[in-house]
Amino acid sequence: MAEDLVLDTAIRDWVLIPLSVVMVLIGVLRYFVSKLMNSSQTPDTKIVKEGQVVVRARNLRVGANFIPSKAFRARKIYYCNEENGLLFVPKGQGQNPQAQMFSDPNMAMDMMKKNLSMIIPQTLTFAWVNFFFSGFVAAKIPFPLTQRFRSMLQNGIDLSTVDVSYVSSRSWYFLNLFGLRGFFSLILGEENAVDDTQRMMQMGGFGFDPSKGLSAEKDNLDITQHDWALPNFEQRAEAVLRKVIS
Amino acid sequence: MVTKSEETQLNSLENQVDNGGGGAWEYLCLIRKLKVRRSDKVLKHGLSILNDPKQRSTLGNEEWTLYEQVAVAAMDCQCLDVAKDCIKVLRKRFPESKRVGRLEAMLLEAKGSWELAEKAYTSLLEDNPLDQIIHKRRVAMAKAQGNISVAIEWLNKYLETFMADHDAWRELAEIYVSLQMYKQAAFCYEELILSQPTVPLYHLAYADVLYTLGGLENLQTAKKYYASTIDLTGGKNTRALFGICLCTSALTQLTKGKNKEDKEGSQLQSLAAKVLEKDYKQRAPDKLPQLTTALNSLTLSS
Repeated sequence: MAEDLVLDTAIRDWVLIPLSVVMVLIGVLRYFVSKLMNSSQTPDTKIVKEGQVVVRARNLRVGANFIPSKAFRARKIYYCNEENGLLFVPKGQGQNPQAQMFSDPNMAMDMMKKNLSMIIPQTLTFAWVNFFFSGFVAAKIPFPLTQRFRSMLQNGIDLSTVDVSYVSSRSWYFLNLFGLRGFFSLILGEENAVDDTQRMMQMGGFGFDPSKGLSAEKDNLDITQHDWALPNFEQRAEAVLRKVIS
Repeated sequence: MVTKSEETQLNSLENQVDNGGGGAWEYLCLIRKLKVRRSDKVLKHGLSILNDPKQRSTLGNEEWTLYEQVAVAAMDCQCLDVAKDCIKVLRKRFPESKRVGRLEAMLLEAKGSWELAEKAYTSLLEDNPLDQIIHKRRVAMAKAQGNISVAIEWLNKYLETFMADHDAWRELAEIYVSLQMYKQAAFCYEELILSQPTVPLYHLAYADVLYTLGGLENLQTAKKYYASTIDLTGGKNTRALFGICLCTSALTQLTKGKNKEDKEGSQLQSLAAKVLEKDYKQRAPDKLPQLTTALNSLTLSS
């Protein structure tokens, strides 16, 4: 069980490298296709305004100690006022963005396109890997693993005595899927559309972003206390001037 | 705002290009990145690149950006024919472009046909209500025509949507100061300090406005902001030093009967006076007697 299996170099030549090359090529193809199919989204005035409000409120929170307390309090009330404060979002409105996104045909099309462009190549490649490259040990992971990973990493291999470090090509596929992101940002420039992992994370928390941002800022602002830093500056100025004179 | 290192880099490139060395294209790119306004240089060097077909072809797709940059610079220097030619070339290449439409409207504005320009801008804004540059051009036009109240109105509306744009806040503050609406100007400067607390310029301007407003509380706050300016500039800002002296003497005049916190104020004032004298001795020694008499009169009246 603890003996070292010698893996044929042919595996490396004919499995690992072609798989990586194919994935890179598919990624590049997807990038160009998405560039062609990309419809420019005109941002809504309301969304832009909300974004700017959040930035301004954050500035207020960060720089609160630099303005007089009266000014700070006036602004705080302006933002957090229960009735017409800028950051206040009544509970009913919070649902809107998500509903709007599903009913607005443009946005729905965009989402569908993005999802499709991600799901289809992944599914196809996965099926291809499974069909052609299953049933043998493809690589050895350099660190030891527990038995739990056996079902995940050794799917085609039906021997239960093989060390878990020996994995099938399916796991090499997944490794490439997550690992090639950095490679793509090198060859395709910064804003490539191949960030699968990011997109998958985004799919989970969709639609609530604008209103959540506002209420989060409001909560933060409510907590902020005003501790005017300016009086200390007088002493610091004195110290500076003394240094200049001496 | 341009940092010191960027400014020195720009100036060295400018010297190099002016004296016949190469690097005009890098110079123009740097100006575009830093958004500095040096229209005569841009016009001269940009035209020299554009009129030379060999250099023009090496630019490739960047040629059109250069046309745009030269057109704006030409309008700034009132060389309207140059600007018209550049815009014609751009229009031929990009017939449906909003960006070229914006340039054409700017040309109308530069010529002085205000109503036509106004109409052009409004129609452009209908298509694209989120174009910040067009909003700002409308404000600039109102200001150029002398309609300051209209300019204020447009600027306020712009800031309702784009409230994180600190350049706009700065412009609004300067307009208010020019109209002597100091309370509103103070509000704008507070916004600026909030967004960029380490820029001494805003502290200084805020302190000036507060000092102008007058009143005990404002004077005390103004003194604190002059002190913060001194701290942020390392004691080199002459205006802040003068501000401290003036504030302290004004405060002592106001609080004559009360005798509250005399001690710390006078230390700061005497220190500021000493630094001022040292500075004047170094830089303008013939003005030193005037300075000493002025400072003495301040301390005497307090």
